[in-house]
Amino acid sequence: MKSKRRIFFCAGAVILLLVIAAVMMVIGRGHTLYFDNVTLEYEGTVYEAPYKAKITVNGEKAANLGVKDRGMATWIGQNFEMLITLTEEKGGAEQTYAVNLTLPYGMDNIIVNIPAVMAGLPQEAWCTEFIPAVPEEPEEEVPGGEDDLTITDDFDI
Amino acid sequence: MSGKKNNSRQNKIQLFLQRNSVPMMFILICAVCIPLSGFSAGHLANEIVTRMGRNTFLILSLLIPIMAGMGLNFGMTLGAMAGEIALIFVADLQIWGIPGIILAMIISIPISMLLGWMCGVLLNRARGREMITSYIISYFVGGLYLLVVLYMMGSVIPIKHATIKLPRGYGIRNTVSLLNMRQYLDDLLAIRVGGVKVPVLTFLVIGLLCLFIVWFRRTKLGQDMRAVGQDMGVARDAGIQVDRTRILSIIMSTVFAGFGMIIYLQNMGNMPTYTAHTQIGMFCIAALLVGGASVERATIGNAFLGVTLFHLMFIVAPAAGARITGDSMIGEYFRVFVSYGVITLALVMYEMKKRMEKGQAGQELALAQREEESGK
Amino acid sequence: MDKTERSPLQKSGLQAALRDFGLPRLIIAGFLLALFIMAPLVGADLVTQITNTINRFSWNAVLVLAMVPMVHSGCGLNFGLPLGVISGLLGATISLELGFTGMMSFVMAIVIATPFAVILGAGYGVLLNKIKGGEMMVATYVGFSSVSFMCMMWLLLPYSNPTMVWGLAGKGLRTTISLEGYYDKALANVLTIKIGNLSIPTGTLLFFALLAFLMWAFLHTKTGTAMTAVGSNPAFAKASGIDIDRTRMLSVIMSTWLAAVGILVYEQGFGFIQLYMAPFTMALPAVSALLIGGASVNKASITNVIIGTFLFQGILTMTPTVMNAMIHTDMSDVVRVIASQGMILYALTRKTEGSK
Repeated sequence: MKSKRRIFFCAGAVILLLVIAAVMMVIGRGHTLYFDNVTLEYEGTVYEAPYKAKITVNGEKAANLGVKDRGMATWIGQNFEMLITLTEEKGGAEQTYAVNLTLPYGMDNIIVNIPAVMAGLPQEAWCTEFIPAVPEEPEEEVPGGEDDLTITDDFDI
Repeated sequence: MSGKKNNSRQNKIQLFLQRNSVPMMFILICAVCIPLSGFSAGHLANEIVTRMGRNTFLILSLLIPIMAGMGLNFGMTLGAMAGEIALIFVADLQIWGIPGIILAMIISIPISMLLGWMCGVLLNRARGREMITSYIISYFVGGLYLLVVLYMMGSVIPIKHATIKLPRGYGIRNTVSLLNMRQYLDDLLAIRVGGVKVPVLTFLVIGLLCLFIVWFRRTKLGQDMRAVGQDMGVARDAGIQVDRTRILSIIMSTVFAGFGMIIYLQNMGNMPTYTAHTQIGMFCIAALLVGGASVERATIGNAFLGVTLFHLMFIVAPAAGARITGDSMIGEYFRVFVSYGVITLALVMYEMKKRMEKGQAGQELALAQREEESGK
Repeated sequence: MDKTERSPLQKSGLQAALRDFGLPRLIIAGFLLALFIMAPLVGADLVTQITNTINRFSWNAVLVLAMVPMVHSGCGLNFGLPLGVISGLLGATISLELGFTGMMSFVMAIVIATPFAVILGAGYGVLLNKIKGGEMMVATYVGFSSVSFMCMMWLLLPYSNPTMVWGLAGKGLRTTISLEGYYDKALANVLTIKIGNLSIPTGTLLFFALLAFLMWAFLHTKTGTAMTAVGSNPAFAKASGIDIDRTRMLSVIMSTWLAAVGILVYEQGFGFIQLYMAPFTMALPAVSALLIGGASVNKASITNVIIGTFLFQGILTMTPTVMNAMIHTDMSDVVRVIASQGMILYALTRKTEGSK
């Protein structure tokens, strides 16, 4: 009787942890976003880049983009929210839009095309994956086991 | 009557002095070194609070095996390695921020439990020399860690991101960046008190562990552990499963050490893959002992006092050493020497006490026998 | 099928032999054998490998031999080896400072190291007598503390020999000191045998043989047998009037002195004096070598030392080359750590040996 209860509790704890882990994997997925303010042609239509686009993420100014500029921000989760303040023409009036985007889970680095987003085009139009070049470092010295007992200068703990 | 009272009071003072000789020595060292180092009070306070948040959880993980009479758990390094492996996975999954920290903790649990169980089983085979064995286990598992992280990750265990892999295609780089979870735990709910950043959430987590330890002491399992720690034979006669209890205490310690390592590394913001765990056990044990703990007796208070004094010494010693001798390395070596010295002192005191008690018990036995004989 | 038909006596005999030898030891010996067989197949030069193995054997054997007295007297594995190493380093640096060169600097290093080894060993012995039963852990940390204490001393002691101190500051010893012109290969160059690529440092081997013979002879004297008695059966030893504490202390002093000589022999082969944190890592390889050779926590012989050092150093030299040629990765670190620590772990957790 007692052992049955114990198994029940253990199974419950394991399931709970798995559920928490799954939730964390969804809400904690981090993305690096790159905002491109470039003119885009999609299905035969040309979407012009605005003169200036200010992007605010999480209340912090993330980028201030002229035409053909690129900005960067990081975001945790898939429901991306940002404020875009557009100036269509030079000297024109500023207008602020709140934009919500759903980010693809499997992509680490996402290039977001601002004109496409403003035009309300589907994900495949505004979203492309950015693959950064891996810095080629010289082969790092592979550390040993017990020889690492030596105390390094970096003794900061 | 009054003489007896006086006597007992004297004993109490003596006991107090005995127990707290190491912390008092450290207060003295710090008192000498602080003015010499020339650091401002604000700087020191800031450093101490940061280091407290960073290290206390790890140090608290040592308490449970001490309770079970297994001495200083040098095998806490195993938990640290489990935490590091979990962090590598999380970094590869690109889970950031607090969710990343929580996920790393969850991933570390099964690894820690497995390693802790292994360590516990081995320690049960090495009764009476648990400490040296756990110390060697930490090296042995270090070798396994090297095998897994340096050779199997990327070749057998899938690792996606080239940023954490060695250029040769398998194995993890010397450092793994944890920039995306750097101090997330510390910064959420952080408050500033007179220029000192206090990581409230981290302290809450540490407080939670303290509460758990206090509660755990009162549970059936906790009572069993204390009984096992006092006398294994008596505990076995009382129907306690000694081996199982001891293994459980090591598993718990390992799991907490894994959590502690994750808290430690999220504060640092990057992870030296192959060196982060090599020294951590030694520093945590030294810090606990500096707080007045011994091999068989350690409290939560010891952990907090220890982390404060030990790290105060750690911060001021190089600067003070440089001021006195003109060479900053002297201070660096001095603090290493003090760390090892404190552990040595504690071990010697513990072994001497153990032997004295054994001798006393033998004498009492002999006395009783003699009395019995003369009674005949 | 014939397993079941085997008589229980035979079976237990075989099992006992296997248990005595130990599975890990079997694996390690088999591994080394496999390495030797694989070496020519993967194109590694076997002769060079053997030369390297013999050379490294000659450097390390004395350090492993230093374990023996303490194991005999029941003090357990000498994890405090660094203490002896420190005495040796003091001897070496003072000998160089006094301006001795060539072979003479080696002899003087041993002479100067001796009083340090005796004094430190005696203190260490007194300490270990106070904590019977917990020697190994305390020994480990006595070693560590002394090494870190000496780190400060190397900086502060007034050495002035320009080959030893930092050029710029003119004080404080360097981390590595070249022995060229001093006792580099002092023993190895005596009577060296060269056959093609194979070169055998006869002098070093003879020196080790001398020490090993002296140790063997000592263990057969009255004091030596008393030491073994103290280790194997303290109660009996006490009953037959042996001064346990004195005998143990003698063994500790011997261990410490041999460690001092051992590091000097190591340095003459290696060609450098390594100071500061280097002695930290000296104890564990020596301990595991002894254990691989068939010793246990309370039993060790000269044969164990020889076999163990050869196996351990063999693996150390062979693994990198053979592994590299086979799978194009240097896994020698992993193999070394797992083999040596696994061996120590195995010895510590053997139930049959019982804790004392």
